[in-house]
Amino acid sequence: MTMLAITDITKDYGASRALHPISLSVEKGEFVTILGPSGCGKSSLLRIVMGISQQSGGEIRLAGKRIDMLPPERRDIAMVFQSYALFPHMTVEQNLRFGLRMKNVPKAEQQRRIAHALDICTLTGLTARMPRQLSGGQQQRVALARAIVMQPNLLLFDEPLSNLDAKLRDTLRHELVALHRRIGATSLYVTHDQAEAMAMSDRIVVMNAGRVVEIGTPLELYRSPKQAFTAGFLGQTNLLAVTASGRKGQLPWGQPVDLATEAMGPAQVSVRPESIGIRACDHVSSAPATVADVSFMGASALYTVAVGETLLKVSQAGGDALIEPGRTVALTFPDRLPVLEDRALADRVPSREAA
Amino acid sequence: MPTCLRDRRFLLPLLLAPGVGYLLLFFGGPVASALIGSLRMEDGTFTLAWYVRIFTRPSMLRGLGTSIYYGVAPVVVSLLVSVPLSLAIRRHFVGRKLFSGLYKLPLAVPGIIVGLMIIVLFERGGFIDRAVAPLGLGLPKLVRDDWGVGVILASVWKQIPFMTLIITSAFAAIPEDIRFAGRTLGASRLATFFLVEVPLAMPGITAAVLLTFIGSMGSYAIPDIVGPPTARPLSVLMVNEFNQGRFPQVFAMGMVLSVFAVAVLVAYYTLTSRIGDAHGHGDAK
Amino acid sequence: MTVLAENTFSPATRKRRFTREDRLPVAVGLYVFLFLAIALPLGLMFLWSIADGWPPPHVLPQSYTTERWAGVLGDSGLLRAAINSIVIAFIVTFATAIIALPTAWAMARFSFRLKRAVEIFILAPIIIPGIVVAVGIGQVFLALGLAYSVTGVILVQIVGTLPLMIRLMTAALETIPDDLLHAARSLGAGTFGITRHIVLPLAVPGLLAGGLMSFVGSFEEFDKSFIVGAPVVETLPIKLYMYLDPYSMQLPLASIVSFLLLLPALVIFVIAGRVLRDDLMAAGMGKI
Repeated sequence: MTMLAITDITKDYGASRALHPISLSVEKGEFVTILGPSGCGKSSLLRIVMGISQQSGGEIRLAGKRIDMLPPERRDIAMVFQSYALFPHMTVEQNLRFGLRMKNVPKAEQQRRIAHALDICTLTGLTARMPRQLSGGQQQRVALARAIVMQPNLLLFDEPLSNLDAKLRDTLRHELVALHRRIGATSLYVTHDQAEAMAMSDRIVVMNAGRVVEIGTPLELYRSPKQAFTAGFLGQTNLLAVTASGRKGQLPWGQPVDLATEAMGPAQVSVRPESIGIRACDHVSSAPATVADVSFMGASALYTVAVGETLLKVSQAGGDALIEPGRTVALTFPDRLPVLEDRALADRVPSREAA
Repeated sequence: MPTCLRDRRFLLPLLLAPGVGYLLLFFGGPVASALIGSLRMEDGTFTLAWYVRIFTRPSMLRGLGTSIYYGVAPVVVSLLVSVPLSLAIRRHFVGRKLFSGLYKLPLAVPGIIVGLMIIVLFERGGFIDRAVAPLGLGLPKLVRDDWGVGVILASVWKQIPFMTLIITSAFAAIPEDIRFAGRTLGASRLATFFLVEVPLAMPGITAAVLLTFIGSMGSYAIPDIVGPPTARPLSVLMVNEFNQGRFPQVFAMGMVLSVFAVAVLVAYYTLTSRIGDAHGHGDAK
Repeated sequence: MTVLAENTFSPATRKRRFTREDRLPVAVGLYVFLFLAIALPLGLMFLWSIADGWPPPHVLPQSYTTERWAGVLGDSGLLRAAINSIVIAFIVTFATAIIALPTAWAMARFSFRLKRAVEIFILAPIIIPGIVVAVGIGQVFLALGLAYSVTGVILVQIVGTLPLMIRLMTAALETIPDDLLHAARSLGAGTFGITRHIVLPLAVPGLLAGGLMSFVGSFEEFDKSFIVGAPVVETLPIKLYMYLDPYSMQLPLASIVSFLLLLPALVIFVIAGRVLRDDLMAAGMGKI
């Protein structure tokens, strides 16, 4: 069943529009991430869902009921903040108890829920501490526990891992995923980190400049993106122009490739660096490819290969020897390259729709 | 610069010397000498007689009581106005920037002038009295009356901008995410205010209250101008004694006032040490 | 294309409309309150200064005169008091700033064992009632022969302005990041250069706030100046006090002197009010 339904939400500041009509939905128990660069409007959207910011238009339904007119305290949504926002003057236990008191949950039930939350967030033993006595990771867990103890219909996360260092971020990310599997709370997560989004989500909503660009599962968006922005934002890619005729296309230097969908004329494809095969080859073909640069990344090597006027990123896993810059190489491209609905390209083609 | 001056052990005292030194000389010294003077008879022998006088003579006792009254009453009234006022101005309204500058004007007005303003407005025969006369009403005695209403009004007028400024800043220092967190956990605006914001703003609020209390408890000009001659606070009595040259008595009265102020300060420190820093971040940066 | 149509402003859309966010009722209420509390009393005082007699039951004066203003402005005693006040205020402000700067720097940048004790000691002149400080110093100055002199008044006023100046400047100097100073040193700046090009410019908000409060504070300071200076050295507040003797009160003259006392302070306050930062002032004045 659909737990959260956002329909045509807009946000204007005076004459300028921060959010163009946004629509998305989250199923019960689903973990959906809103992913986008800074300033794309994802946090604004989250705050509108939470009720701490007022939308200019559109409506929001939670479990079927309209909530966009309600104040935050009546929405049955809990939020985990980027800054944790723990109450500094209360102990961990008092922090957890606060929301339960507000909703008049019976004492016995309060105890049960608090004990449960402390357990699954690995916080037992810290109940009497004040927030300033906790490490960053512990504070974040308390913020999480404080939200899940409410057993809300919807859990919101506003970039909760951004303030942590890389190792801690990894650890907590795994804990969050494990937690979600365990309690199955419907979750809406906001982040700018695409690796985080792909690792955690059932579905990802890609946003840019106040609009939804594309929605899909991590696999779909990575392997078969429909938009150039998605392809470029999730992981690394090469955006290449092809001349298409049906399911076949031709790269700018003449190399033939196989397309995933039918297309005619000029088109754009996304080719992941790790999907291009590369080997040193001294035979000079009609379109010689030369290694311009190589970066050793540990688990892989990232090559910058020049073919004609195009620069390609090619990634090769493992291996013993690196191909030095200057060597000629042969490139093999995978089948079923995703063709992008590249808006930028489409705008140059006169459209039959009235503008 | 000679390297020895770079050394912290020399640099630090050198830097502190002007300010701290000046205060030691022109503040610490005189206060210490006043303390000593309050404990001596004219012939130099040690005595507590001057203090005994304060706590036994009716006029002095009344003076002490009046001082405390003039400290507490205005602060209570000011608080009742300042807190709602600071809440009203913390969110946007049309003309807010101008208002934020204007409401601070009383900070620049000396106590004597405030006394004059009270007289002009509230004295029998003053503006308000004349304004309501056609309605058949008369203003009760508000200046130089037994309850010291004039003194309280004048003190309140000067105190409200100061308290509002401090209290507004105390509330503004609370990260807004903490307020939002309260709301998302089911607390209404009002509940969030009382359960989350007020405790966190408390150190600032109590500091404002304390400084204001101490200031008006020891003030001289306003009680002297608009206060009743029958109930004069210690500060006014002190000046009387000073003009008559009875210095030891003056010093004893001054010490009593000071001890009172310091006691209130100590109480403040013990009460607020529990709350600690409201913005602890742990290791996260 | 419809895009073109959106860009033209029709004259009607340029008229300012009040939105709910403007909170008009609150604004109106606050300004009415402000008017009644501040403008009304000041206005009445002004009327008193230009009224030619204002007997009851008249709510407004019936006849006006400027004679009194002329008389006062020509009074040499008052003029002397005014000049005293201004000169003393400038000297006090300047001296306070110079004395406070090194101490504020030490408090802002260093941590040391007795720091809290020093903080409280600096706070003490504000905690100890002014009249106590006044009589304490007054007696010492009497013995030293500094009483009844302008120097004495200056010295005693600095005791009152120094704590606030130190605290405000400490608050301002605390905001300078360490890295800034390290960077300057690594670029070759010596102590003098750092002070001149980095510390002083960044300390300006604190200097401004402290200087303003010191000037106004000195200009209207009464308790200590009265004890130490009167009746020989007269500042404007002392002069005003003498007009307010309950048994021979001269309201019109008192009003005029009040305005003379108020006007410079108000002007400075309004001008600097645009530059002063609330958080800095609260940090300097509100923490104990």
